[in-house]
Amino acid sequence: MDSRLKDLAEKLDAGLIARREFLRKAAVVTGGTAVGLKALEGMARAQSQTKLRVWLFKSFVTAGNDLLAKQIETWAAERKVQVEMDWATFGDREQKFVAAIEAGNPPDMAEMNYQGPSRYKPALRDVTKLAKDVAAVRGGLFPYAERVVNLNGQFFGVARLAFGGGFFVRKDLLDAKGVKLPKVYDPDVVEMAKKTQDPSKDLWGFGQTLNRSDDGNGYMQNILWNYGGGVWDKDGKPALNTTFQKQNLEAIKFSVDTIQKHKIQPPGVMGWTDVHNNEAYMAGKLVSTNNGASLYYAMVAKKHPLAEKTQVILTPGGPAGSYLAAGAYNWGIFNKSKHAELCEDLIRWVEDEKRFDEYTKASIGQAGSVYKSRADKPYWKTDPNFDGMLQNILRSVWVGYPGPFSAAAVEVQAQYILCDMAGRVVVGGLSAEAALKEAHARVEEIYKIRGGKV
Amino acid sequence: MPTTAAQLGTKSAALERKVRTGRVGLKRWLGPDYRLGFLFVLPIVVLVLALVAYPFGYAVYLSMTRKYVGLPPVFVGFENYVKLTFDGFFQRAVVNSFVFTFGSVGVKLLLGMGMALVLTSQIRFRSFWTGVLLIPWVAPTVVSALNFLWIYDGSLGVLNYLLVKVFRILPQGVGWLSEAGTAMASVIAVNVWRGFPFFGISFLAGMKAIPGELYEAAAVDGATAVQRFRHVTMPGIRNIVIIVMLLSTIWTFNDFAIVYILTKGGPGGTTMVLPVFTYEMAFGAQRLGEAIAAALYMLPPLAFVIIVLARHMRRGRAK
Amino acid sequence: MVRGGGRRSQATAGRLQSAVSYAVLLTLLLIVIFPFYWMTITSFKSEDQMRSLVSMFWPSPVVDENYRQLLGKTDFVAWFKNSIIVAFTSTFLATAIGTIGAYALARLRFLGRAFMASAVLITYLVPPSILFIPLYAQIRNLSLADTLTGLIVAYPSFTVPFVTWLLMGYFESIPEELEESAMIDGATRFGAFYRIVLPLAAPGLLAAALYAFTQAWNEFLYALVFITDVKLRTLPVGLSSFITGDVYGWGYLMAGAVLTTLPVIAAYMYLQKYMVEGLTAGSVKG
Repeated sequence: MDSRLKDLAEKLDAGLIARREFLRKAAVVTGGTAVGLKALEGMARAQSQTKLRVWLFKSFVTAGNDLLAKQIETWAAERKVQVEMDWATFGDREQKFVAAIEAGNPPDMAEMNYQGPSRYKPALRDVTKLAKDVAAVRGGLFPYAERVVNLNGQFFGVARLAFGGGFFVRKDLLDAKGVKLPKVYDPDVVEMAKKTQDPSKDLWGFGQTLNRSDDGNGYMQNILWNYGGGVWDKDGKPALNTTFQKQNLEAIKFSVDTIQKHKIQPPGVMGWTDVHNNEAYMAGKLVSTNNGASLYYAMVAKKHPLAEKTQVILTPGGPAGSYLAAGAYNWGIFNKSKHAELCEDLIRWVEDEKRFDEYTKASIGQAGSVYKSRADKPYWKTDPNFDGMLQNILRSVWVGYPGPFSAAAVEVQAQYILCDMAGRVVVGGLSAEAALKEAHARVEEIYKIRGGKV
Repeated sequence: MPTTAAQLGTKSAALERKVRTGRVGLKRWLGPDYRLGFLFVLPIVVLVLALVAYPFGYAVYLSMTRKYVGLPPVFVGFENYVKLTFDGFFQRAVVNSFVFTFGSVGVKLLLGMGMALVLTSQIRFRSFWTGVLLIPWVAPTVVSALNFLWIYDGSLGVLNYLLVKVFRILPQGVGWLSEAGTAMASVIAVNVWRGFPFFGISFLAGMKAIPGELYEAAAVDGATAVQRFRHVTMPGIRNIVIIVMLLSTIWTFNDFAIVYILTKGGPGGTTMVLPVFTYEMAFGAQRLGEAIAAALYMLPPLAFVIIVLARHMRRGRAK
Repeated sequence: MVRGGGRRSQATAGRLQSAVSYAVLLTLLLIVIFPFYWMTITSFKSEDQMRSLVSMFWPSPVVDENYRQLLGKTDFVAWFKNSIIVAFTSTFLATAIGTIGAYALARLRFLGRAFMASAVLITYLVPPSILFIPLYAQIRNLSLADTLTGLIVAYPSFTVPFVTWLLMGYFESIPEELEESAMIDGATRFGAFYRIVLPLAAPGLLAAALYAFTQAWNEFLYALVFITDVKLRTLPVGLSSFITGDVYGWGYLMAGAVLTTLPVIAAYMYLQKYMVEGLTAGSVKG
C-alpha cells in the first residue's frame, strides 16, 4: 500500500500540471459554449419574424433545385416573410415526415411524392379549392395525377410535376450490331442484350435491380402488369397469388431469368440501390437500363460523351402490353400550419406558368406535365428524348391498377413487397411459387389494415 | 443472539444523538453523505427521467397500440408482440441480428487481441501506432459506411479492382453487398473494422495494468511467450475481455447506420437486422406500434446481458 | 536442456516474436489506413477519372474542384461550426454531469446509490431507434426543436451513462485514504473531491470527454430528425445530404468525409495516451 500511495502522491503532483492543462481545455470548451449561445441568440431574434417552414424534394437535377430555391426566396422577399427550406431526398424523407408529424412539429408545407397525400392525410389540410383553381386554368389535371391528390373528392395536395424517365439504350452499340430498338422485354431486350454485351469487358446488356429500391419497385410493378398480372384485381382486392397467380409467376420467372439464365445482368445487380445503375451506365458498363430523367440530366449537364449516344425510349412491355405507373409530386399544406394562406400564395407563385417554364427548362426533361396545357408546350419537342420521357408518363397507369388507387396499394409499394418477393427467389433460394405466396400474405395483411380505399 | 454491553452502549449513544438533532435520523435513513450525494446525482436523475425514462415509457405504451402516423393510438394490448412472434420476416431478422452480432464480436475479439499484443510488445513509435489504429473507431460511422459503400461498389469499387486486376485472385468482380453468400460477411467486416480498435485499446489498458513482476517471474520460470500469454496475460485481462465483449454486444446489436447505409437489409432480406427491421416498420410501413414492439422485443435478452455486465463490472472492482 | 541453448533459443524466439509483431502491426495498419487513403485520393479525383478506372491509386490529374465546391458552394463551413458548437458544449455538459454523478455513486454513501448505479447502466440499453420519436416530442415541448440547443440537450442522454460508468471505476481506483487524510486536515467532503480526487482523475476525465465528444461529433439520427434548417445541420447530416436523388457525388462526399474526419483524428492522435490511461483505471479495469 505504501508504494502505491507514494506513486499516487507523485501522480498528484503531476496531476496539478494536468489540471492546468485541463483548465486550458476547459477554457476552449467555454469559448465554444459562448459562441454557441451567441449563435442561438441570433436565431431566437430571427425567429420573431413570420417564418414559413417549407420542405422540398431534393432531386438530382440540381439546377432545378437551385432555381426553385431562388423562386421561393424571391417570393419571401416580396412578401416580407422568412422561409426556411429543408431539402430531403430518397431515404431520409419519410422518417422526417413521420417524426415531425408525430412530434406535432410538421413544416407549414411540403413537396410530397405520390404517396404523401394518402399516407399523411390525417395531418394535411384540405386544399380542394386551391387545387381546382390551379388545375382549371391549366386545362385540368391528367387522370394519373388527379388520382394521387384527389382522395374521394377532397384534394390533399396540389399537383406539380411527374418525374419523367424511360428505357435508356446505348444507340451506338445497337447500331454497331444492327440491332433494332426493343419493344418488349422478352424476347427483344434479352436478344438485344445478348448480341451487344461483352462480359469479358464488363459490358452488360441490361441493368435492372430487383433489390429494395425505387428502381426495383417500379420495375417489378410494371413487369407484373406487362404479363397480364398485378397485385390487385379490378375491385381492389389482393390478387397476387389468386386471380393473377399464373401471370405473376411468369413475370417473376422472367425477371429472375435475366439474372440467372440469360446472364444479361452484371454481377452484383441484386445489391443495387437507385444509384448504381446510373453509375454503371455512365461508366459505359451497361447497354440498357430503366431510369428517371435524372440520368439524362446528369449526362447532359456534365457534357458526358454518352449523352449523345443515348436514346430514351418507351419502357418495354410484355405479352399483355406495356405498362408503367407514374406518380405526381405535389404540394401539401399541413393542418397545423398557422400560415395556410401564405402557403397557398407560395404554391400559386411557384406554379405560375412563367416560373414553371423556367423550372422545366432547367430540369432537362424531368418536370413531366401533370396539367394538360403543360404537355402541349413546344419545349417537349426540342429533344426527342424529352418527348419519349413525356409520353411514358402520359400513357401511365397507377398503383392499384386495374383496381382503384388505394392506401393499401401505396403501402405495398412503400414497403417494397414486390422487390422482397423477387429477392427471396434470386438471393433467398425460394421457388417463385413460395415467394409469391409469402408476398401475397403480406399484401393481405396490409389490405386488412388499410382497406381497399384511399 | 446475546447483545454485548458495548453494543448497547453504542446504540444508546446513537439514540441520544438522534434525539438531540433530527438530522442524524435523516442521515441514518438517507446515508451519511446524502446531501452532497443527492446534489451530485440530481443532474443525472433529471436527465434520465426526462430524456430516457419518459420517452421510454411512452415507447412501451406505443408498442401496445395500433398507431398510424398522424392518428391517435388505439390500445391493443400484446397483439403486436404476438403478431411479431409468428412473423417470418421478424424471425429472420432476429436470426440475422444474432449472426451479425456474434460474428462481429468474435472477429473483433481476435483482431483486438492482436492489436493489444502488438502494442504491448517491443516496437518503435508505439504510441503513434496506437493513435493510428484508433482512427476507425473515432471516424463518424456515416462517413465510414459511405466509404465502404464506395469500396465495395461492384463496378467502380476498389476492392474488386484489387482482387481482379491487381492480384488476379478472382476472374470477375463480386457484388459484395448483393450476393447472399457475401452480403452478411461484408457488413460484418465494416462493423469489425469500425469496432475492433475499441477492443484493442481496452485490452491494451488491461495488459498495462498487469504488474511487470508477474512477467519477470514467468520468464525466470522459463515460460514461453504462449505460456506467458495463457497464464499471466489472460487471467489478468479476463474481466476486461468479458466486459468489452458484453458492451460490444449491445453496441453491435443496436447498430443501425452501417447496415442501413450499405444494404438497407438486402439483398432479399439476407442482412435485415432488427434495427433496420424496426426502422422499415416505422418509416416504410409506418406502423409505429409494431415497430416499437419489434425493438422492445429483444430488450429482455439484452437486459440479461446488461445484468451480467453490471455484475462483472462490480466484481472487477471489488477485487 | 543446456543453459546456453535455452538462451539462444530465447533470443531467436525474441526475434521471431518481434517479426511477428511487426507483421501483425503492418496488417492491421493496412486494414485501418487503406479505406482512409482511398477516401482521400477519391476526394482529389475528377469525376471522369472515377468512372474510367484509370490510375486507380493516385488521382490524375489531381483536382481540388471537390474541395473548392464543398467550401465555396455548400454550407459545409456552417455545418462544421454547428458540429463544433454541439459537440463541445454537449461534451462539456456530459462530462460535468457524469463526473459529479460518478463521484457520488462511487464514493458517497446515500440512499438509492446502488439502484442509481444500475439504472444508469440500464439506460445504456435502450436503442436510440425507439427513443427518438418520443424524444423529439419532448424536445419540442421544451421549444428546442430545430435548434442546436435541442441537440446539446439530447446528446447527454446517451453520453452521460458511459461517462458515468467510466469515471465511477476511475474514482474507485483512487484510494479513499487520500481523501480521508485531507478531511482530517480540515477539508470538506467537496474540498477533498475538488482538490484531491479531481486532479488525480484528470486522465479519466479526458478519456471520458474524448468519448463523449466522439459520440456527439458522429451522431446522425437525432440530428437528422430534430433539425430542419439547412444552415443548422451538423456534419454527418450535411454530408449525407450530398447524396442527392439517385446519383452520388463521390468526389464531393469524400472531400467532406476527409474534412469531417480530420478533427477527430487529430484529437485522438494528440490525446490517445489519456484514452489508454483513462480506460486502464476506468470502468473496464480488470
